[in-house]
Amino acid sequence: MKLLKDKVAKLSFVALLAASSAAMLYTPTAAAHGEKSQAAFMRMRTIHWFDLNWSKEEVKVNDTMTVTGKFYVFAGWPETVDKPEVSFLNVGIPGPVFIRQGSWIGGQLVPRSVSLELGETYEFKVLLKARRPGDWHVHSMMNVQGGGPIIGPGKWTTITGSMKDFVNPVTTLTGETIDLETYNLDNTYFWHALWYAIGLAWLAYWIRKPMFIPRSIAIESGKSNTLITATDKKVGMAFTAGTIALVAFGMTSTNAKYPITTPLQAGLLRGMKTFEMPAKTITVKVEDATYRVPGRAMQMTLKITNNGDSAVRLGEFNTASVRFLDSAVLEDTTGYPDDLLAEDGLTVSDNSPLAPGQTRTVQVTASDAAWEVYRLADLIYDPDSRFAGLLFFFDAAGKRQMITVDAPLIPVFI
Amino acid sequence: MSASQSAVRSRAEAVKVSRTFDWMILFTLFFVVLGGYHIHYMLTGGDWDFWTDWKDRRLWVTVAPIVSITFPAAVQACLWYRYRLPFGAIVCVLGLLLGEWVNRYLNFWGWTYFPVNFCFPSNLIPGAIVLDGIMLLGGSMTLTAVVGGLAWGLLFYPGNWPIIAPLHVPVEYNGMMMTLADLQGYNYVRTGTPEYIRMVEKGTLRTFGKDVAPVSAFFSGFVSIIIYFLWHFFGRWFAKTDFISSENL
Ligand SMILES: [Cu+2]
Repeated sequence: MKLLKDKVAKLSFVALLAASSAAMLYTPTAAAHGEKSQAAFMRMRTIHWFDLNWSKEEVKVNDTMTVTGKFYVFAGWPETVDKPEVSFLNVGIPGPVFIRQGSWIGGQLVPRSVSLELGETYEFKVLLKARRPGDWHVHSMMNVQGGGPIIGPGKWTTITGSMKDFVNPVTTLTGETIDLETYNLDNTYFWHALWYAIGLAWLAYWIRKPMFIPRSIAIESGKSNTLITATDKKVGMAFTAGTIALVAFGMTSTNAKYPITTPLQAGLLRGMKTFEMPAKTITVKVEDATYRVPGRAMQMTLKITNNGDSAVRLGEFNTASVRFLDSAVLEDTTGYPDDLLAEDGLTVSDNSPLAPGQTRTVQVTASDAAWEVYRLADLIYDPDSRFAGLLFFFDAAGKRQMITVDAPLIPVFI
Repeated sequence: MSASQSAVRSRAEAVKVSRTFDWMILFTLFFVVLGGYHIHYMLTGGDWDFWTDWKDRRLWVTVAPIVSITFPAAVQACLWYRYRLPFGAIVCVLGLLLGEWVNRYLNFWGWTYFPVNFCFPSNLIPGAIVLDGIMLLGGSMTLTAVVGGLAWGLLFYPGNWPIIAPLHVPVEYNGMMMTLADLQGYNYVRTGTPEYIRMVEKGTLRTFGKDVAPVSAFFSGFVSIIIYFLWHFFGRWFAKTDFISSENL
């Protein structure tokens, strides 16, 4: 007997642990550090983030910061990824370390999903309020239905202070100001505790008497009708009627207390305002492009024609949020994340100003460890081995033009 | 009598052993059901139960009861036919809610810092008590399925309303109207749950205007009846003892 008991106890304990812990350990996805593991072509040929700016590097709890910038929805969007017809401007942070106080595309608040057009540029802004102290990587991010999250560049930001001080005051349309951080919490605990207690009472009524073996024996010997007494039925009636009455009471008293409620709001926002980029007067043709695996460098031969009225120089090549600059033309002053910035990563065989009406063929090399660190070189293993990116040209007055490139890429292994 | 000797020597000892078994079985049942039911509910009800901005008057009301009547129906079948014990539904729901609260409190709040007022579980207890009560009073599976299943669907929304109504108070936010629950979903960033996967307020029940919750609840109740039958038979099959011959007992 003792042996059997021990065995049952041991087995049930193992089963209990396995079964009950599996679900209880579930945690919602919070990390947003997937940028490096995302397929290179996804990052190069979907959403191009540029002009990003993180307003602060250090924020106190309850203070706000913004992430602003633009994104270009690539015209050569890959066939394998669903078009961004239903997209959500998100922010890649490890859980609610900041709260999102606002997010805008082209000046329009976007708490809902939006429809984006291929080949268009949009301006965005995300307003964040610091909640939980720590060092956090803050990314811009676009979720695309059927395409997954498309993560933009991330920058380390420090939140100082204490989460205990965090408040999230909101004024409702019924004129009440509440703290959404703790609002309705006591009410939630109250109702859950009350109902749990009633449920336990019902269970307790039945388990105080002998249960499994004697009742099973009684049923097998045909005495099942003796097992439910008149008192049992009365108690059952009381619990059933009491439950219905309490639900009805809860419903009516709640409606009296909250006469004004509205359904959840949802729906797709269309016709987002696009950002007008300066007219393009430069054309670029990619003659060929190779990626030198040992040198971690991409080399392309570009045929550039300037149809504008001022001389231009190539200042930047931006792909998958990695910026390769020619420091003679452009220097970053926005505090762009170091790991994504190759200040001298762009070499142009002849980067003297290209006069209006002229055409020139140049060799452009974009080299930096970022190719490996950000696993961009992996695109040579993609089914459709193409690269894409943004070229920024500048004239003497600093006027900028953005040209997109999209061409096959040949790897060079030796 | 078999050749083996009885393990107990007196009636008092038999009662004691029987009672020990009671506690062991109940304890095991509680936690095994907790685990299985919790996983099942998470996979089928998932986000509808996790977040307040999914708890709408159409889909949550419809989906949550349908997917949650499963284990109560099965365990009820087992406990009622084998032991005439009418607590199958409540033992499941108490287990589920304990598991959910532990998970929400320790992981959603303790580990990821989503406020508890945003990620608390749905209340299923009123439906469970009524389901057990009807089983006890009627003693019939068909009656429990039809009346209890319908009640399970109907009681769900009003049983949760006192908890979620305060979150349905409207607020004007940067020129848009939304509920506080919508605002929670917007404020407390979920990178893995973009807005478009939120399945709320979708459906074809538009002709009912704003009184859509009772209609959804009725629909949910009807489907719950069918699911109850289905899972009840799973439970009865599971509780069969045909595969153990009585000589071995
Ligand atoms: Cu990161």
